[in-house]
Amino acid sequence: MSDACADTAADPRPEALLVAQIRRGKPDAWRRLIDEYEGRLLAFARSRLGAGKSSASEDVVQETFIGFLTSLPNYDARRPLEGWLFSIAAHKLTDHLRREGRRPAVTLSSTEGDGADDGGAWDLPGSARRASTIARSAERRDLEANALADALAEQIALWRERDDWPKIKTMELLFVCGSGNKQAAEAVGLTEQQVANFKFDFLANLKKRLRKQGLDEEVFPELA
Amino acid sequence: MKTQGRRPSAIGSRGTHLRATAATANSQVIMSPSAFSTAELLAYLDEAAPPERVARIEAALRDDESLRSRLAELVAGRDAGLHSLGEVWRRRRLTCPTREQLGSHLLGVLEGELGDYVAFHLNEVQCRWCVASLEDLRERHEEGAEPASQRRGRYFESSVGRLRDSGGAAS
Repeated sequence: MSDACADTAADPRPEALLVAQIRRGKPDAWRRLIDEYEGRLLAFARSRLGAGKSSASEDVVQETFIGFLTSLPNYDARRPLEGWLFSIAAHKLTDHLRREGRRPAVTLSSTEGDGADDGGAWDLPGSARRASTIARSAERRDLEANALADALAEQIALWRERDDWPKIKTMELLFVCGSGNKQAAEAVGLTEQQVANFKFDFLANLKKRLRKQGLDEEVFPELA
Repeated sequence: MKTQGRRPSAIGSRGTHLRATAATANSQVIMSPSAFSTAELLAYLDEAAPPERVARIEAALRDDESLRSRLAELVAGRDAGLHSLGEVWRRRRLTCPTREQLGSHLLGVLEGELGDYVAFHLNEVQCRWCVASLEDLRERHEEGAEPASQRRGRYFESSVGRLRDSGGAAS
């Protein structure tokens, strides 16, 4: 906690200052945060619950703001505030959908769930909770995820510098959207072979970067 | 295009794979091609997939035992500490436009390759967070301030009482 606060105090970004004021219990700051982020959170909830369920969407947003205050001691102000709020909203939305029976009872990682009421939901097979031989500490996972994020960000920055937007689009389609090579090739206007080559180079570069840091490749299945 | 050395064939690749608790999930993806890629299912778990795609996944999950098993394997893999590229890319928002860029896109003044990319991110990737942010910008631009103001007032009133307790350790 104290580390997060020290970071907040040292960080001059407007959103970090806003969070620091909220931590000091300033109602005006809290009102400003609501004014700034309420609209996009509501649009996010509506996109799933439908415009006809506006009161349910508003409930999700309300729970998101309360969830933010509850989680504030754990919030690292170096991380973007909008992303933090959206991830809380996603949890609250998931809880709502579980209660409606629209989502499986066990969905998000056990490290992320917040123990919401699962009434009316349906279960995934028990294997979702079986012990793993490669379970690791939260610190280790964070370190690995940060290393992968840094490696990805470096590669993307390089492509941006070179105005190599087709590569960014292609990799985003393949890895974020889960498109196949053919689908990605058609969407970006490349040949399938070009897509396959880009992907090969991209994975090889990432692997090299991560290997330099001595990380276990086994935890990055797409690179193994 | 001529292939070089160990470069891969373009044929037979469908989405990304995340080996959940061993080779099983990977072989499922390869041996039983599904209508849903691993990256899509991971996005679904994060409530980050496009709504119409989510609706299809939910409908399929009700009747498809193998899909439920696959989802369970992915959850197990995630719990075990496996990292997927797409998850990290999406969660860290590595290619999300800034709010200012979204505003410029809305006004139609974001040109060139960046403008083209932002349109791609919204329309092809259908990033849920950026689409929501754009929708908010559009509503702020179009709607009267009153309904939103009332809503925000309600949120404030219902939560401000918890403010004192929320960051106590900060002071």
